[in-house]
Amino acid sequence: MSDFVELMVGATASGCIYALVALSYLLITRPTGIINFAVGEWAMVAAFGGFLVLSRYEWPYPLGMAFVLVVMAAVGWITERFAVRPLVEKGAPPLAPILALLGMLVVFREIISVSMGPDPQPVPPLFGYGRLELGMIAGSYQSFFIIAVTFAVFGLVWYFFERTLAGRSFEAVAIDRRAAALMGINLRRVTALAFAGSAGVAGLAGLLVSPNVSAHYLMGLPLAIQGFTALVIGGVGRVEGALLGGLILAIAEQATVRYAPIPPGLAQGVPLVLLIAFLLVRPTGLLQARESRA
Amino acid sequence: MKSLAGFVFAALVLSAIAFMLGSYHTDVYRKLLLWITLALGYNFLFGIAGQVAFSHFTFYGIGAYAMVILLFQVGLPLPLAVVAGIIVCVVLALVVAIPATRLEGFYLALATLAFAQLFIVVLNEGGSVTGGAGGLANYRLPDIFGVRVTGPWYTVVIVFLMLGTLAVLWRLDRSWFGRACRAVRDDPQAAQAMGINITTTRIVAYAVTSALAGAAGMVYAFVDNTVNPPIFGLENSFLLLFMVIVGGSGRPAGAIVGAILLYLMPFFLSPLIGHHHALVFGVVMVAVVLFQPKGLIGIWDSWMARRRVS
Amino acid sequence: MKQAILAVARSVLATAVVLAAPVAMAQNTIRIGMITDRVGPAKGYAEPVAAGAVYAVKELNAKGGLLGKQIELLVEDDQGKPDVSASMARKLVDSGVAFILSVSLTPATQQAQSVTLETGTPHMTPSNSGDTLTTQVTNPNFWQTGPLGSTQIATLLSYARDKNFQKVALITDNSDLGQLINRFFKGALEKADIQIVSEEVVPRGSTTADPQIQKVRAANPDAIFLAGVLTPENALILRSYRQLGLKMPVLGNYNFSIPVYGSIAKGLLNGLAFVDAFDPAKPQTRQFIEDYKKANNGTEPYNLNGYGYDGIMLVADAIKRAGSTDKDKVREAMQATTGYQGVMGGVGSSYGFSDGKRTGFDPNGMVVRVYEGDVQGKVVHVGVK
Repeated sequence: MSDFVELMVGATASGCIYALVALSYLLITRPTGIINFAVGEWAMVAAFGGFLVLSRYEWPYPLGMAFVLVVMAAVGWITERFAVRPLVEKGAPPLAPILALLGMLVVFREIISVSMGPDPQPVPPLFGYGRLELGMIAGSYQSFFIIAVTFAVFGLVWYFFERTLAGRSFEAVAIDRRAAALMGINLRRVTALAFAGSAGVAGLAGLLVSPNVSAHYLMGLPLAIQGFTALVIGGVGRVEGALLGGLILAIAEQATVRYAPIPPGLAQGVPLVLLIAFLLVRPTGLLQARESRA
Repeated sequence: MKSLAGFVFAALVLSAIAFMLGSYHTDVYRKLLLWITLALGYNFLFGIAGQVAFSHFTFYGIGAYAMVILLFQVGLPLPLAVVAGIIVCVVLALVVAIPATRLEGFYLALATLAFAQLFIVVLNEGGSVTGGAGGLANYRLPDIFGVRVTGPWYTVVIVFLMLGTLAVLWRLDRSWFGRACRAVRDDPQAAQAMGINITTTRIVAYAVTSALAGAAGMVYAFVDNTVNPPIFGLENSFLLLFMVIVGGSGRPAGAIVGAILLYLMPFFLSPLIGHHHALVFGVVMVAVVLFQPKGLIGIWDSWMARRRVS
Repeated sequence: MKQAILAVARSVLATAVVLAAPVAMAQNTIRIGMITDRVGPAKGYAEPVAAGAVYAVKELNAKGGLLGKQIELLVEDDQGKPDVSASMARKLVDSGVAFILSVSLTPATQQAQSVTLETGTPHMTPSNSGDTLTTQVTNPNFWQTGPLGSTQIATLLSYARDKNFQKVALITDNSDLGQLINRFFKGALEKADIQIVSEEVVPRGSTTADPQIQKVRAANPDAIFLAGVLTPENALILRSYRQLGLKMPVLGNYNFSIPVYGSIAKGLLNGLAFVDAFDPAKPQTRQFIEDYKKANNGTEPYNLNGYGYDGIMLVADAIKRAGSTDKDKVREAMQATTGYQGVMGGVGSSYGFSDGKRTGFDPNGMVVRVYEGDVQGKVVHVGVK
């Protein structure tokens, strides 16, 4: 039993990482319909940023983390400005920005690989690698930190979308771009903010996961795929869906490895099969958008 | 009639080239022809039928492995193995297509991405049937009617595969089926209103192109006489997409240009700028999408148009 | 339609002209080819090996070269892709190389063999450790002097013999080399009548190894053997091991000898036993370290560089004994290599291909070292006796 609880703590932490990546997709997809597969690479860039700022230059953690997140927001803004806006303004088909972003995926990865070398690099965790045990609930400091930060972020984002005017303008753009523009909402600003926010969230995921897995230049693609799977499971319609999807994916993955009597190699197929099943049976995900258009 | 002459001419020229090349160039040439074949098929699936699928390269792998397994583990004679291999590809394509074509746009992309990954997992866990993580090697093409087809003659086989694929797809493109695919791509509801069965159209497009990819894979199995999981990984699926985009989707000429450019680019760039060539790759992709969304073939078109006008 | 065909024909002809491989003209240099991975997944391992080889060629050329001629090292990048590796092998053969070194991924080396088999070109890998490279295809032109997975486990088992492990756990990853090494580890453990009570895989891209380590903990083995080769995933395993409070001994494969663990697995390494092929106290190795440092602005070499260095030295030695670059003579000379003492391997070990076998790394040549804190401690065990 204690094994199970301990596993759940770890799985929740992993699920939070997936959830953050899923949120990162969602922040862009909702207002613009663009799917940005480069979010994994954004996480990777932030991880290396974390390495530079926290390991090599040894800034205090809160300062370093804030700095990296600000830089990531700038990266997101720049990406939108140069790889996406020209396409949207030209009236290119919706596929075009997605392809441009796929190209950016390669660009980001290669820039890091060329400048930082192929070796994985360490990123220190905020509270060190100790372990916390509250009765049966046991996990590493980092796991609890990840869970706390993720829930805080989701809480903030939920509040932003549900209760603030700026957030509601995002929703409006998501529901009907043209109507939103007619109502005076600045589409350009919403898109730019969406990208900046998305990059920040992806960067956060990278900073949170890299103390465990290290910062290495191949880490982007698996994160991007896991995050997207989480998004599909949870549903694109609501912010909470990303969190739910991430948690379900991670728990399913890890519980299968731990308890299912199948050979370990095949256990990797579980998230894939889950994804395919969801796509076939319930492609809109578990949580529907509150006011969805037919 | 004109097109038949064109094809014969191309077959002769391309085959003649096969006899003129040294061993290294032959290898590059063969793989280039195979990539062109794949790009043509993908161009039809993605550009003309509008399906964003990442499984095309996976069917290449399915064809290759099927060929090796059927020939050397099941022990079928060559002609039977070829037929059986095609059947396997078509059946698997249908199994994937029938549920998958219900999905729109990126859901289809994701499902096929998952399928591609699942294929690698199956290959790795396949024990002695698939050779596991190490793959299968140590075989060679059996004699056909007592003749050992090797060297430039095998390249001729690949030439015929490529031209055959081009012919089939070109015919489909020009026929009502091609128009139906485009209609379904551009406006499914209007297409349906005109009496086109969307689902059947999609399934057929997917199955045909996947089977063609599988056929290419069957030929590939004897190029290096090795098949292993890393060859058929995800990276190549993305590369295929890039090729079609950069070349110009929807146009066979575009697929050919894209395949040639992107396959050969690393070979040219690596000696010049070492390991930065992957970066150039990404930049080219972004640049093409931003500035020339019709692909490089679009540049050719506008140049031709200007010539005609002046 | 005609457009398309003309486009193809034109491009292919242009390409054939431009891609002209350097023709082997009047040979006043001896050409050796090397296939490495500069951009793909093997980059972190291939590039240091390649650097060692480049240094070896520089050193040889400074001392007068080989058979009176300078050595020209032609380096090709296979991007970690097996089919490109085969193409690069062809390019090198066409350039008239006397020998090809493959330092990229194991499957890439495997695929390149199809070319060297066909052309009868001498081919070797100084660093790949997959046992199947010499067994999957019978290629008399191919030799392997990297630390075989089977040698690694034999050395570890001999080190562990007096500890009397009855039941152990075996953990690897889903990379091809990790799976291959796992297979050999498993075989050797079973042959030694040691029961494997837990066999786990940590796939690439995992965010944690907790579920796998929990399973290991539940199975309560006497020791854990690590057969994986993906550095981030191995770090995850070590972290979960500590986090979940496991205490049994951990024995790692050769991958754990790579210095990068010192930085990304800080605090996790103390007591970890691992196999290595590098004994810095050995005289030849000490000399190599000093010379390399001098020639490279004080950069200290490590085991991966040593593989590349030994690879070139073995090839040069074979060519010298053959007295020419004729492929058959070189092949015979290489096969006759025996008792060659290189930089790699424990004290007293040597390279050799006796009895027609083509794996040259001394089966007794690996050493076991134990991490003390985050530093690789000295050698505690040599060979498989």
